[in-house]
Amino acid sequence: MRKFTKPTWLAISWLSLMMFFAIFGWALPFKSWNFVYEDDLEVGLFSNGHILGTDSNGYDLLSSIVAGTRMSIFIAIAAVGLGGLIGSVLGITAAYVRGKVDTVMVTIFNVGLSVPNLVLALALVSVLATNVDINQAVPTWRRVMVLIMSLTIVLIPILGRIARGATLSWAGREFVTAARSMGMRDRKIITKHIVPNVLPALIAVAFLAVGVVIIAEASLSILGVGIPDGASWGGMIARGRNDLEYAPHVLYVPIFFLALTVISTNHLGDVVRAQLDSREAKV
Amino acid sequence: MFKFGFWLQRVAQLLIVLLLVTFGVSMLLRLIPVDLATILLPVASEEERVMLRAELGFDKGPIGYYLQWLGNFVQGDFGKIYFSGGTENVSDHLKQAMPRSLLLMVYTQVLALAIAIPLGVLSAYRAGRRSDKVISNTLFTLSSIPNFAIALLLIIFIGVKFAWLPTLGYVPIAEGYWEHLKHMIMPVISLSVGLIATYTRLLRADMIAALREDYVTMAASKGLSDQRILWRHVLRPSSVTLMTSAALSMGGLIGGAIVIESIFATYGVGFEVFAAIAGRQYIAMQSTVAVIALFYVFFNLVVDIGTGFVDPRTRDRRVNA
Repeated sequence: MRKFTKPTWLAISWLSLMMFFAIFGWALPFKSWNFVYEDDLEVGLFSNGHILGTDSNGYDLLSSIVAGTRMSIFIAIAAVGLGGLIGSVLGITAAYVRGKVDTVMVTIFNVGLSVPNLVLALALVSVLATNVDINQAVPTWRRVMVLIMSLTIVLIPILGRIARGATLSWAGREFVTAARSMGMRDRKIITKHIVPNVLPALIAVAFLAVGVVIIAEASLSILGVGIPDGASWGGMIARGRNDLEYAPHVLYVPIFFLALTVISTNHLGDVVRAQLDSREAKV
Repeated sequence: MFKFGFWLQRVAQLLIVLLLVTFGVSMLLRLIPVDLATILLPVASEEERVMLRAELGFDKGPIGYYLQWLGNFVQGDFGKIYFSGGTENVSDHLKQAMPRSLLLMVYTQVLALAIAIPLGVLSAYRAGRRSDKVISNTLFTLSSIPNFAIALLLIIFIGVKFAWLPTLGYVPIAEGYWEHLKHMIMPVISLSVGLIATYTRLLRADMIAALREDYVTMAASKGLSDQRILWRHVLRPSSVTLMTSAALSMGGLIGGAIVIESIFATYGVGFEVFAAIAGRQYIAMQSTVAVIALFYVFFNLVVDIGTGFVDPRTRDRRVNA
């Protein structure tokens, strides 16, 4: 059993709390997140029964945070899961097969990487979220799907390149040559020998990618094309900008949750990578 | 030695990437389930729309449209922005936005490098000691805070509470350098925090590796001071990764600073993309994205050439690879 340091435990507990909010938040006895408390506008922390206060519209911030956690975490996990799966399949295949397939794949990855993340996501969201009737608003669930799809597409080249690089360094090792010389099928070599070795590197990057997606989702919300009505952390920040001058706690609260979550995922990604490096050094 | 064939191959690769990016965006526009002419001219007659379709090449099929757009783009015609009062040239918008983005990028890089290089050298020199740990952990935590959060916190404290700096807008250098800088300080700080952490980390890792090399032992045994060894002999070969990362982030800063540019109303290239997308100006979006990709690819090439000069050993290594 490895020993974790204190910051690592902190990161794990914080992320567990966030996961708990995301999964069981609806069952907790919080106030309704989209109910307007008309008598408690812009109240501060711990006042009038609002633990984290309310914003200038009278929304309770704690329940908004809990509801936003579900949205932000769901989008992040869905996008990283899908992007990681597709990216690693493409990357591992490209590096294992080499030749023309590899060249094509690398070119596609480079194309994706040559446009800044947010520009790509923004372009994809705007195109995919356009209704046939342009005057009709896009429903929230479709916005969520479009966001997940766009962020997945953004992640594929990033994660695919990592998977390709990791596979390249493993595919040339002796045990792979040995397995091949014994007549093992390519498919089996990949699943038995390549994937288990490439996986730790991918997990380390996946943690970082969760942070990237949470930030990207928030950025898109701030720009007004993400989740509307303050239903995610980014949406809360976007809406809180109106209260910046007179009730800055409306901004502090979502920024605190978002930043701490990203710090935690980045830290865990770092821990996994450090462990990986020390293992590599021993080999 | 300058390997001509290698560079030709490299430039060709980058050109292919550029063509594919622009082609991809072009195809993306075709996915929109609504007629583009209707979006661009919402209150026009059918004849005007037919004329617009012919003018922009929407009637020529996907490939024909792309080739026409590409032909115009290469000649410097980036298309137009359509609004109810008439049209504006995208190139005029970019002419206004580009210097802002470039200045923002230069200031950010200068600030980030000016802080990251001393910190990186210090933490490599004191690797594993207390000061190294403090630097590394602080920077790691800071870099995880998204730049818009830093921007908003700066606005709340420096802009609103203390009212030291203006929170919105951009002032050209011509209207006073001090005013110009005052408007740039907060956006630049918001953008550079993340870069400082990345740069310090890269430099620290490379310096620690370089400090183990034989020539360092040699220099130390000659009696050179630690200062001199660090700054004169170790920094240069250790800066390759740093320079690569810095040059690549330049491409990202042009166009990638959308959120910061819109929070501070700096209105650079990133904001132009956003405005084009939000206003459904798809031709403007296509051309602006192409310009951003062009910069990215250009800085990629600069990286390749630059690393060859900083560390001559990589020149041949790259050719053989």
